[in-house]
Amino acid sequence: MPISTVSFQANALAEMEALDSALSQTQSELSTGLKLQNASDNPVAMVEVNQLNAALSGSQQQVTNGNAVTSALQLEQNSLTNATNALQSARDLAVEGNNTDLTLSDRQALAAQLQQLQQTLLSAANSQDANGDYLFGGTANTAPPFVQTGSSVSYQGSGQVNQVQIGPDQSVSVGDTGSSVFMNLAAGNGTFTTSVGSGNTGNASIDPGSVTDPAAWVPDVYTLTFSSATQYQVTNSAGTVVGAGSYTSGNAISFNGAQVTVSGTPAAGDTFTIAPAGKASVFSTLSGLITTLNSSTLSNAQITTQIGGAIGQIDTALNNLDNVQAAVGGRLNAVTAAGSSAQTSQTNLQTSISQLSNVDYAQAVTQLSSQELALQAAQESYASIAHLSLFNYLS
Amino acid sequence: MADLLNTSVSGLLAFQQALDVTSNNIANSATPGYSVETANLVPEPGQATAAGYVGSGVEVDGITRAYDELLAQQVRSSQASYSSLNTLATQASQVDNLLSSSSSGLTSSLQSFVNALQTLSSSPDSSGARQALLSEAQALTQQLTGYDGQITQYGGQLEQQIGTDVTQINSLAGGIASLNTQIANDLAGSGNAPNQLMDQRDTLLDQLSQYVSVSTATQPNGMLDVYIGSGQALVTGGTPQQLSTIPSLYNASVLDIGLASGGGTADVTSEISGGDLGGLLSARSQVLDPAQNALGQISVALATIVNQQQASGMDATGAAGQPMFNVGGVQTLGASTNTGSATLAVTRTDISALTSDDYTLRYQGGAWTLEDATTGQSIAMTGNGTSANPFQAAGLSIVVSGTPGAGDSFLLQPTATATAGLSVALTNPSQIAAASLAQTAAGADNTGNGTISAATITNPSSWVPDTYTLAFTSASQYQVTNSGGALVASGIYSAGQPITFNGAAVTVSGAPAAGDTFTVTPSTAADAGDNTNVVALMNALGANTLNGGTTSLSGAANDLVAQIGTVTQQAQSSATAEQSVNQDAATARSNLSGVNLDQQAAQMLQFEQAYQAMAQMIQTSSQTFNSLITAITDG
Repeated sequence: MPISTVSFQANALAEMEALDSALSQTQSELSTGLKLQNASDNPVAMVEVNQLNAALSGSQQQVTNGNAVTSALQLEQNSLTNATNALQSARDLAVEGNNTDLTLSDRQALAAQLQQLQQTLLSAANSQDANGDYLFGGTANTAPPFVQTGSSVSYQGSGQVNQVQIGPDQSVSVGDTGSSVFMNLAAGNGTFTTSVGSGNTGNASIDPGSVTDPAAWVPDVYTLTFSSATQYQVTNSAGTVVGAGSYTSGNAISFNGAQVTVSGTPAAGDTFTIAPAGKASVFSTLSGLITTLNSSTLSNAQITTQIGGAIGQIDTALNNLDNVQAAVGGRLNAVTAAGSSAQTSQTNLQTSISQLSNVDYAQAVTQLSSQELALQAAQESYASIAHLSLFNYLS
Repeated sequence: MADLLNTSVSGLLAFQQALDVTSNNIANSATPGYSVETANLVPEPGQATAAGYVGSGVEVDGITRAYDELLAQQVRSSQASYSSLNTLATQASQVDNLLSSSSSGLTSSLQSFVNALQTLSSSPDSSGARQALLSEAQALTQQLTGYDGQITQYGGQLEQQIGTDVTQINSLAGGIASLNTQIANDLAGSGNAPNQLMDQRDTLLDQLSQYVSVSTATQPNGMLDVYIGSGQALVTGGTPQQLSTIPSLYNASVLDIGLASGGGTADVTSEISGGDLGGLLSARSQVLDPAQNALGQISVALATIVNQQQASGMDATGAAGQPMFNVGGVQTLGASTNTGSATLAVTRTDISALTSDDYTLRYQGGAWTLEDATTGQSIAMTGNGTSANPFQAAGLSIVVSGTPGAGDSFLLQPTATATAGLSVALTNPSQIAAASLAQTAAGADNTGNGTISAATITNPSSWVPDTYTLAFTSASQYQVTNSGGALVASGIYSAGQPITFNGAAVTVSGAPAAGDTFTVTPSTAADAGDNTNVVALMNALGANTLNGGTTSLSGAANDLVAQIGTVTQQAQSSATAEQSVNQDAATARSNLSGVNLDQQAAQMLQFEQAYQAMAQMIQTSSQTFNSLITAITDG
């Protein structure tokens, strides 16, 4: 089949050009290190790389979030520790004050120390972070959440805390509301409070009591009346008698699943009240204690009873602080776990991205040398046959 | 003897002509489009003699060029296909380069925006974090508008290129027409085919096939009628038809192709295919327009989602959030042939139902109908087009006013101009609505262990700011009352299920006891530390809000990259395949019509030898005559 001279040259040239451009593509891949430069190189892979990069960036951001949350939680732990220490000291002072041999000025000295501790508690509750935001204000964190007017402290913060994302499907609270840490504590023993009747003439005091059978306990206002120094009766708010018996100092008096202990010598007609517990805060507990210790008009029985109740409330508060500390510790652990899980997944993501978009140097270099060889062969063979012509032999 | 001489002379003349043809072939061996010519040697008629018929020499009957119509057609059709695909690949590759970059592309910018939201969620009242978010919003806007601007620029260049191609086609058509006239004259005058002119005409046809697909029909008088595209007559005999660019029906800056016929100009855009012109028209409808619409869809989604979330939240000053983004509206274009006075007001109502297609609204037979401009599929509309009851379809609301003429139509482009109008509307970082419009709290005396989530305002227009009390009348029944005591919601409690009332939604988990209460109160500026709305925005941006609830915002961005990448890849590989077909066809044609120097050299030798032999023969004839004369004179 005849081949025109022009087409022979054109075809040889076209083939060399094709080899040239393949060679230059391989060279470009080697110098950029990327085999995936445009979506047209591999649309599916490009989309996957985009998604992986976005996930990688998101994971790095979540770790950053985790670091911020960790700082906040660690500051919160410090404040909680300070508050716990102050409350513990207050409890010690309260125990010390529960001594009928103390004079009024002794008790007033204790009250003054308690006053200081209350201020310590207040400043712990109003702790701020490095940005000036208040740790215990919830979402209303730009102003101090605890405000003191006179001897009472109220909570001005909000009732919700922010959630921050620390992992792909994981969010964590960045703090606790002041109300859940320092306010809204159950008064008395947690279920009921006990108090000495104001007109009592005997010297008996009553302890905070406890609930022995939660199923049998009926929330109501009960009155414990001593008809004589040795006989008592417990009536509910409707006047029904729910318990009665003979009295021995220090023995438990039980009724409706509850139990209280009266110590000392009651006079005939003395009453004691057992009422459902309301809510108290650590501040109102200390304020009440301070008032009791400063009082010159309360009887010893009343002082003993009220200090006993205050100690019970302080225990409730200390318990609550413990629970909050534990929860904060749990959250810090969650952040740490999320962080190391993020490390692993980030490494995996980077490996996948690299596999999809980075050039395999061994393969590319091999391809480069084989393409070079092909181009060389094409050029040499063309050079050796291009000048062949019958005209060379005509003389 | 006379015969001997005449025969020899005829041989000399014939071989001389044959050598001329060979020499011309060698001279044109590198000329593109040259068809190798062969002198047809035919024997002169024989003379009758007593001994039989004696041949009287040789003559050159004609000079034929080696040409095959089928091979030429194959070259032109593969050239037209290759040019078209190559142009499409080049145009698509421009957009592909623009969008492809995994480290700084659209999905990366969207992720940076979300990252800035994450940082803000850690410290919502930090002015630094707020400013960073606004900066990311600006960066994202600039990237989107940058892409859109580039695509618009490519579109402008494409329209210019269409104009240039049309001019070229007209010039080639004019050349072919005048060659037609010349060839017909020469053929009629001499009876011989004017090979060189026909080669020239073939070259012009080859060039024409680079611009548009070409087919031909040969006339008996030697003229060639030329048809382009699906069979539109471009050259009829010696008359070229004028190809022109005309403004398209709805948009004067978009050029359509017109062909002069029957005294007027017919719109032949849909009949044009193949060649650079066909490739440009394909690129416009398959790459540039869809890409711009898809970008617009992304811009609309971004602006709508963010703005809606801003309205559901409270900014740092205590006011409800204002829109963060401005975005371009729906573009409506009336046909240039419209006779009526109807005007349309079209707004987008549902980003989930929004597509990246354009729509045509037509008034025919007294009723308005809607169809998809790309597929031609008709779309059902609800409503009657008044402002009280607008037409609703495809995520759009259409209000018609004025009086339409019969057959009037409008092109609706829901997303094409959205990106061009994208900008950040907020100037002050305090305007970012990070907090929710309402705050929740658990009642101080609750005895159960139920916990309440943050409140989100799911419907800002039906939110009534008030203090609401969510009370559990039992462990499984709840009631929501407002500050006046009126009941606004009640139901069976199911942990983790949203409780909604007056445009707000809260979730309670755990086990609340009978008598437990929770409050929902309007946020004040003191609640600037709340990040609820930031979290809600991140959720909304990541949710599948587009395409009927199947695609997220970043999903749509990736879909665009993949779509353009695939079109580019397919066009590139098809172009390469077609180029190889074209090369094979060109080689086949060249092997038939091209000059092979070895062949010409051999022929040259052959004719040279024959010429020399013939010259010898003349000498012999002269010698025999001399012998005869000498014999007569001597004897």
